Amino acid sequence: MNTTFWKYLRHHGQPFIGLLLILILGTVLSPHATDGTIVFLSPGNLTDVLLQQSEIGIIALAMTFVIIGAGIDLSVGSVLALSACVSALFMMVWNPHGPLVVQVGLAIGAALAGGALIGALNGLVITRIHLQPFVMTLATMIGVRGFTKWLTGNVNVDLAFGANPSGRFAELFSSKPFAISLWIGLAIIAHLILTRTVYGRYLRAIGENERAAAYTGLPVAGVRLAAYVGCGALAALAGLIHAARSHQGNPNDGVGYELDAIAAVVIGGTALAGGRGSIIGTVTGTLVLGLLTNVLRLHMVDSNLELMIKAVIIIAAVWLQRRSTGVHGDL
Amino acid sequence: MISRKWFGALPALLCLAVAGCTSQPSPYKYTVVFSQCNNSEPYRAAQNNAMKKLWSEQPDVHLVVMDAQQDSVRQIAQIETAIRMKPQLLIVAPNERAPLTEVMKQAVEASIPVICMERDIVEPNYTSWIRVDNRAIGRMIGQFVVEALTKKYGEPRGNIVEIAGLKGVEAETNRKLGAHDIWDTYPKIKVVTESVANWSQSLAKDRMTEILSAVPQIDVVFGRSDPMAIGAYLAARERGRENEMIFVGIDGLSGPSGGISQVKEGLLAATCVYPLCVDKAVEIGSQILRDPGFKPDKIYTISSRLITPESAANSP
Repeated sequence: MNTTFWKYLRHHGQPFIGLLLILILGTVLSPHATDGTIVFLSPGNLTDVLLQQSEIGIIALAMTFVIIGAGIDLSVGSVLALSACVSALFMMVWNPHGPLVVQVGLAIGAALAGGALIGALNGLVITRIHLQPFVMTLATMIGVRGFTKWLTGNVNVDLAFGANPSGRFAELFSSKPFAISLWIGLAIIAHLILTRTVYGRYLRAIGENERAAAYTGLPVAGVRLAAYVGCGALAALAGLIHAARSHQGNPNDGVGYELDAIAAVVIGGTALAGGRGSIIGTVTGTLVLGLLTNVLRLHMVDSNLELMIKAVIIIAAVWLQRRSTGVHGDL
Repeated sequence: MISRKWFGALPALLCLAVAGCTSQPSPYKYTVVFSQCNNSEPYRAAQNNAMKKLWSEQPDVHLVVMDAQQDSVRQIAQIETAIRMKPQLLIVAPNERAPLTEVMKQAVEASIPVICMERDIVEPNYTSWIRVDNRAIGRMIGQFVVEALTKKYGEPRGNIVEIAGLKGVEAETNRKLGAHDIWDTYPKIKVVTESVANWSQSLAKDRMTEILSAVPQIDVVFGRSDPMAIGAYLAARERGRENEMIFVGIDGLSGPSGGISQVKEGLLAATCVYPLCVDKAVEIGSQILRDPGFKPDKIYTISSRLITPESAANSP
């Protein structure tokens, strides 16, 4: 077990070392609250980070699949906004009466179906018409944003508070236990799919060399399509958490989320060229970004610096990837 | 391989560098966190400057300004982190009503005194709310516009274009309602179109450029903030139509690029001072810090005034 562990760490260890060092330094440097406790390590603070990262974390899981399949999905931020707005519209405008389960159930169902549908559109055009993933998802990113703004008249749809179904929905989806366990649960499932199923093997093979995979008779189009459908659906799920946390559907939200998700995936060691990557790495990458922001915020560092440091880390991660694949060819 | 492993340490080293620069033993007795919704608007920058200046007169207070960059989710996350720091006072200028309601409740529940500045939230989750009567401001501007149109045509009639701020924000809603309280009593005064520019001067310029192509006759442009009124003015000037209409705004900041100067220079026909609320926040805030027996009011209302070329001459 020991050799396997060290081998894994040697090949995939870079994000973990980063995470570990952030944890150690976060603890050492942590400011103390006015009552003397170490703020960084307090369960409240650490779960704050998990909650704050749950949206990007969930999107990044699906993005890992798309990227391993040698694709990219730029539309996730727009899908998140669409899902947040559709769910809010269902509960507040289109279907404001009726029993809680029906109202909330319909809102969730419609939002998830919408996300999956856009994912399917992406996947179909990419696999059937062979448009480049970058171009196709760039187009849906723009189009879905426009659709969302049109749907809402570019006005935020606020959720209600208290016993109203939308209030209950917000309470549940923004609660720490729910959002965090949803993320962790999905991460475990994604990890198992990627490492223990035929689908995961096919996806890696297709990402590594699509033509070879096609010659050996793998269902290339179906496998890639499924990755995009999953990505749309999970972006919509993140949109539900987003709506609950911000207590509204805002057609202008989620801008740049696709880049945060891609950053988390890349920092986690997944190759942008496809073929290789891991869910554990992606979760680690998401945590690295979240904890980094947290450490800086606890030190009241200017929020613009957060972005600059994020940029440096992304460059470093990609550089490292290229270097390691170039030199060793085994990462 | 070694260099690769060390490279993984980069994020943490960066943290160390940045955080290290900022972590020294605190000489301060009190920490005050000011959660600002968006530093990049001039009105907000003026608030920040006033806030820094007034608190710096109290050397035992450490003021931290957090910029949410007009992103409610970012502001929620920043306040969540601020709550962990257990500051002695939290001042919030909320970005939007509904999103900030829950997290400000968490702050109150953590026994942190919370001052809510100018924009309100859905439930009264604050110790005190320092408000400005935006509806009264809207009426002031509405009345000015009626008088200006009467002067132009001999009777109250004309076409008005409205440039709106962020929808769902109390200031946007009530400034509009206030102006319409007045205009709706004059059937010949018509709002021909309303466009949303989210308080941004550049967005207002873009929206106004489109409006100028679509609307042949405009008498008044009502920007729900001075930067948006100026954005509309710049668009009209590009088309050479700036003299056909007047521009009115709200904010009335002092200083060379503030609304009062713009009224003096004749770019704006009028503006209404939207007080920064900072004086009151610092006054109440320091009483909360220093006097355990102090019971602040739930709501403080700050009054406003209209700035026209005549009254601007007497303003700083």
